[in-house]
Amino acid sequence: MKKAYNQTWVENLYVHRQAAAWKSKNLLTSEQEEEVKTQFAEKFYRPGIFVKIGLFLFGVVACSFFVGFLSLFIYDTSSEVGFSTLSLICCACFVFMLEYLIKTKNLFHSGVDNALLYAAIIAAMVPVFLLFEHAPVWAYCLIALVIIVPATLRYADLLGPVMIFGLIFTIMAELMMKFPLGKALLPFAVMILSAMIYALARKNNDIYYHECRQILEVLALVTFYLGGNYLVVRELNALINGLNVSVAPQIAFAPLFYLFTFIIPVCYVFWGLKKADRILFIIGLVAFAFSVYTYTHYFGILTASQELVLGGTLMIATTIILIKYLHTAKYGISDEQNRKNSLENLQAVIAAQELGVTPASPGLEFGGGTFGGGGAGEAY
Amino acid sequence: MTTKSILNSLASKGIISDQQANTIASFESEKAFSIHWELRSVLYLGILFFSSGAGILIYENIDTIGHQAIIAVIALITAGCFYYTYKNSLPYSCEKVENPNKLIDYVLLLGCSTFLGLEGYLQYQYNLFGTRYGLAVIIPTVVFFLCAYRFDHRGALSMAITGLASWLGLTIAPLSVLADNDFSDGKLIMPAIALGCVLTAAGWLSETQNIKKHFAFTYMLMGGNLACIAAQIGLFSHSPKILYFFIGIGLCYFFIHRARHAQSLLFLLMGTVYGYSIITYTIFDNLGPDAAFGLGIFYFFFSSIGVIYFLLNFKKFLGVKPAIKK
Repeated sequence: MKKAYNQTWVENLYVHRQAAAWKSKNLLTSEQEEEVKTQFAEKFYRPGIFVKIGLFLFGVVACSFFVGFLSLFIYDTSSEVGFSTLSLICCACFVFMLEYLIKTKNLFHSGVDNALLYAAIIAAMVPVFLLFEHAPVWAYCLIALVIIVPATLRYADLLGPVMIFGLIFTIMAELMMKFPLGKALLPFAVMILSAMIYALARKNNDIYYHECRQILEVLALVTFYLGGNYLVVRELNALINGLNVSVAPQIAFAPLFYLFTFIIPVCYVFWGLKKADRILFIIGLVAFAFSVYTYTHYFGILTASQELVLGGTLMIATTIILIKYLHTAKYGISDEQNRKNSLENLQAVIAAQELGVTPASPGLEFGGGTFGGGGAGEAY
Repeated sequence: MTTKSILNSLASKGIISDQQANTIASFESEKAFSIHWELRSVLYLGILFFSSGAGILIYENIDTIGHQAIIAVIALITAGCFYYTYKNSLPYSCEKVENPNKLIDYVLLLGCSTFLGLEGYLQYQYNLFGTRYGLAVIIPTVVFFLCAYRFDHRGALSMAITGLASWLGLTIAPLSVLADNDFSDGKLIMPAIALGCVLTAAGWLSETQNIKKHFAFTYMLMGGNLACIAAQIGLFSHSPKILYFFIGIGLCYFFIHRARHAQSLLFLLMGTVYGYSIITYTIFDNLGPDAAFGLGIFYFFFSSIGVIYFLLNFKKFLGVKPAIKK
């Protein structure tokens, strides 16, 4: 799929970000960062978040009134075929406008293009719902996928991966729910599908889809964990079997799910730390908290307030011990503030290179920053 | 695009030397994985859990503990927080004070909240202020203003502004302005507009007079939203409409022009959205229902395209320098 936005500029944006990160660690001088910005130019129109919101809102208003505007010229809008035609014409206009604005105004996820893209996709979906009224859910999902997957590949919109992920899982759940065996194996299917999506997402190294890939990773990790979580499986099992009881009955393979509930968060945290993967690490922590909740939900003997006090005390104690322990970095894990790092020898390297062999003036502008490394101190 | 390929392209374009590229590469491969923020988040969550759990425990056992003991504990916490903040704070300055100790921000905020809690508890249990609610509100307001300026804390400033507005018979916070306040009483609208304008002016002054320049944003955001929303409500439901119209449009013009010196394009958005709704309302109100219906589709379609065009090219219209903060 040909990409809508200028690939080189997207890559240059990434280089800028990387350069800014190195600059903040005093690995590059300000002049070098400026040099990077001029040599790796990008001309995207990227206003602040607030202007983006404004552009998006007015984009939505313009799109919806465009439909009304167009409907004045088409008389037969009350019938299904008539409205479908109108919708398809609108879709074509939106896509044309989207492409035109991206080309001429150098938009890059600037609000208007998001609004136009969503409007175009909705306009493309409307005829499907109007003309095929009694199709099964998975058929609608499949058609939606046919529209959204190419759109995401072309525009790399952030909502795209979320939609695709949801649609794939809806299709799978819909198909498996038809059979009793499918219902029983649903958790395993969810886990396998999540693992596959995660593996596929990890394979993609294109900067163009960097954020999309991160979103897919987050979603896949979360569903993989939830698919193996004892609480979710037990409660959903009761729900989809239509059991209207206050306490959900025990499930098959219970020990296996106990194991999953415990082992998945631990693996996430361990691999997150080992591979320096922040997404994996943070989701592991959240999953661990949910596992603790799962345990207390079925086996807890304390009241909620006692649990809160106990949990809070344990959290405070653990973090304080870890902060003290990681005062100096161990096993490739550190507790440095601001993700800043100062390498004195590197300063010397840059200084020597910048000033030739004679380091004359002591007032180097990159020496004066605050780089009090060495961890926590009092500032937590 | 890996670190290595970026470094290679930087080196091949002559921006950095090979030696520097090698140093950065080795730094990237050796750097430790910092879990600083994750640890801090878990710590704060732990504190939150502990304190709320303890609060519920106390509430459940209030009969055996007694009110005096609880009030004493809250008072002790408040005093402790303010003492710690005072001890660790840097001296007052009209500039932004960068305290390396980030903990005091949270401690001050905790102290301010417990101070409010203490006052509320005293009023609820012992009816300390009787029916002089104004006094009960103005005391924390003054305390928070003093704290905000002395300890350079924008959170305390927001709380103080909220207190000031409550004192005027309002409660302001960006989202609950419409939900909580009963604007149907026309008497409240003018004071609300006045307070909003005074707050905006205070922000303007603190910027031009260089007294805590970074407070200007908070003042203008809260004051501006209050004044604009009050002006709109006045326009929608009270006369004289022409007065409210000019107040609203004047404020919007001010905000859009603020974008020139922008600390934030938020003001541009505020000015545009409020201005758009005020002008739209006025046009349709004066047209009458029949003409309005016919014109509606054209008006909304073309005007929203116009606004998009304005937002896409606002730098050109306003003559903003390209170096504007993104």
